[in-house]
Amino acid sequence: MIRLIVSLTLLLAVLVAASLAFGDVSLTWRELFDALAGTGEPDPQSAMIVFDLRLPRVLLALLVGVALATAGTITLAIMRNPLAEPGVLGINSGAAAAAMAVIVLVQDPPVGLLQAAGFLGAATMALAVYALAWRSGTSSLRIILIGIGLSALATAFTTLLSAFGDIGDVQRAMIWLAGSVYDASMVKVRLLALWLIVPVALALVFARELDLIRFGDLSARSLGQPVDLVRGLMIVLVTVLSGAAVAACGLIGFVGLIAPHMARRLVGGAHARLLPVAALIGACLVVAADLAGRIILPPVQLPAGIVTGLLGAPFFAYLLWIRRHDHR
Amino acid sequence: MTGRRTGRLAMTNGARMATLLVLFCLLVVAAMSATAIGTVTMPFSRIAAAIFQFDGSRDHLLIMTIRLPRVIAAVLAGGALAVAGAIMQAVTNNPLASPDLVGINAGAAFAVVTVMTLFGEGVGDIYVWFSFVGAAIAALVVYALGSLGSVGHSPLGLVLAGVIVGTFLTSLTTAMLIFDQSTLDAVRLWTAGSVTGRTMAQARTVVPFIVVGLVAALLLGRHLTTLSLGADASRSLGQNPVVWRGASVAIVILLAGGAVALAGPIGFVGLVVPHIVRMCIGVDYRWVIPFAALGGALLVVIADMVGRLVFGSQSFPVGVTIALVGAPFFLHLARTRLKGET
Repeated sequence: MIRLIVSLTLLLAVLVAASLAFGDVSLTWRELFDALAGTGEPDPQSAMIVFDLRLPRVLLALLVGVALATAGTITLAIMRNPLAEPGVLGINSGAAAAAMAVIVLVQDPPVGLLQAAGFLGAATMALAVYALAWRSGTSSLRIILIGIGLSALATAFTTLLSAFGDIGDVQRAMIWLAGSVYDASMVKVRLLALWLIVPVALALVFARELDLIRFGDLSARSLGQPVDLVRGLMIVLVTVLSGAAVAACGLIGFVGLIAPHMARRLVGGAHARLLPVAALIGACLVVAADLAGRIILPPVQLPAGIVTGLLGAPFFAYLLWIRRHDHR
Repeated sequence: MTGRRTGRLAMTNGARMATLLVLFCLLVVAAMSATAIGTVTMPFSRIAAAIFQFDGSRDHLLIMTIRLPRVIAAVLAGGALAVAGAIMQAVTNNPLASPDLVGINAGAAFAVVTVMTLFGEGVGDIYVWFSFVGAAIAALVVYALGSLGSVGHSPLGLVLAGVIVGTFLTSLTTAMLIFDQSTLDAVRLWTAGSVTGRTMAQARTVVPFIVVGLVAALLLGRHLTTLSLGADASRSLGQNPVVWRGASVAIVILLAGGAVALAGPIGFVGLVVPHIVRMCIGVDYRWVIPFAALGGALLVVIADMVGRLVFGSQSFPVGVTIALVGAPFFLHLARTRLKGET
């Protein structure tokens, strides 16, 4: 376990360093070290590239990865369904509909409106799903079904806008929907970091409750857990985490689904281990995806959300395939 | 998890048969009205005349080349998608499963977008073939991958493989669309799901696949019920889940592949109609399959008609109206029919 955490942290550090070094202007490791430590020959250009252009972007990718993976792990536990990811709560479809509406319907939207709309859309949908699924108590199947129904409505709205909106707007909306960290800034990074501290800490505190609720409502209840309360609280955490991630950089799918599955394969089902490992995997995935998106086809920058699909999917397939004799 | 305990049990086979007949009559009426109603309203007698004694007049041409193909496409796509969805939910034992879980939609969209990017828009009828082949290849890859992995002995392998292949293809498609505005413009109505402008030739291409798939699905009903109990239960009942899972995926390819080729990636029908059917009549798949076929066809025909009438546009994508018509009904059922269940 400790070895795994250390090696994942090292991998993450290498990825971060590589992201800081490589790009349109590549720095040598020596230049990178000098710029970071402020030693050696002061080179204002490489310092500017590292601190103002690349560092915010890398940190944002890292934070978003942590948020998505944590939210995904929680969702997997409370829904008890291998296909469950935060999108099940309508978060993605709500954010997509709100963002599409802002981009297509509002002329020259003010700065920040897109982010606010994304978060509000996600939160509204999650709240509506939970409220409609409440019927003297909740059940994960009812939440899933209500989520499907409401998501279908939101998606119909998005599809309508994308089928008849101005083609330029639709294209910009698709880039946003694909999920990208290109407009990162230090302000955004600090905001997101502050925003994430409480929910991530709470998730860790509730690791044992997650273990319990995963056994099923009946078992959890007979072991003394207030199931509805825990599920409600966890849904709030998921909304806060993935809503913030969506607002920061659009829809980066797949991470929230795959990081928990990978972590489960590595460390088993106890959430005290699962949550940190999944968070590290998520951070590695998004940082690596952003790095790859910048250097595969320069000067074109592929959105990180697309690269997570293109690279993460085959990698996960490889994981499935190499361990075929290992029936866990 | 599939909602095994969600249905009402107290429905006799006679009552089910009667309901099935009523649904069939409703479908016939809906299809007739959808053909009759439009910018020019036709009496039923003229429709019958156009079908049986075609005389080449303007009205008869309108019926035979525009209205009827559209209704037939809606019936075929709706019925096929709903049955394919029911099969997928039984096989994977998962209420979130739908035909596109085996990569059908992603494969079809990838094939169509690739062809459009490479050869431009003017490929016409060939789309049907490309999207069918794309869907079939994607589904085969999903099935192969799903039976290879460490979890190949359980439905989880199929589910995860479906997500992997689907995500990969969708990412590729999105990447192509983001950088190619003209293809995006050409393909965006197709991706919404639409039965506008379908021709008899296109419908005729797809009919054999869908009919074979439907008949096979009806014959498979009993085995699907067993599969839906989960891999362990089905094995202990003497069923070989691997064989029947393979047969089911083959049927899903025929049905959903054909439907997507005809009407584009319509998501809602395959996901929701099976749930509605199970909530209403129970979980015996010998009955779920025919009910899903009729219900799905009815939903798409009505949704297309509503779209044409309410929004007054011939090209209004049916993928949008299906959700508008079907989702409120589904939400109501999900709230009232699922009680005290974990």
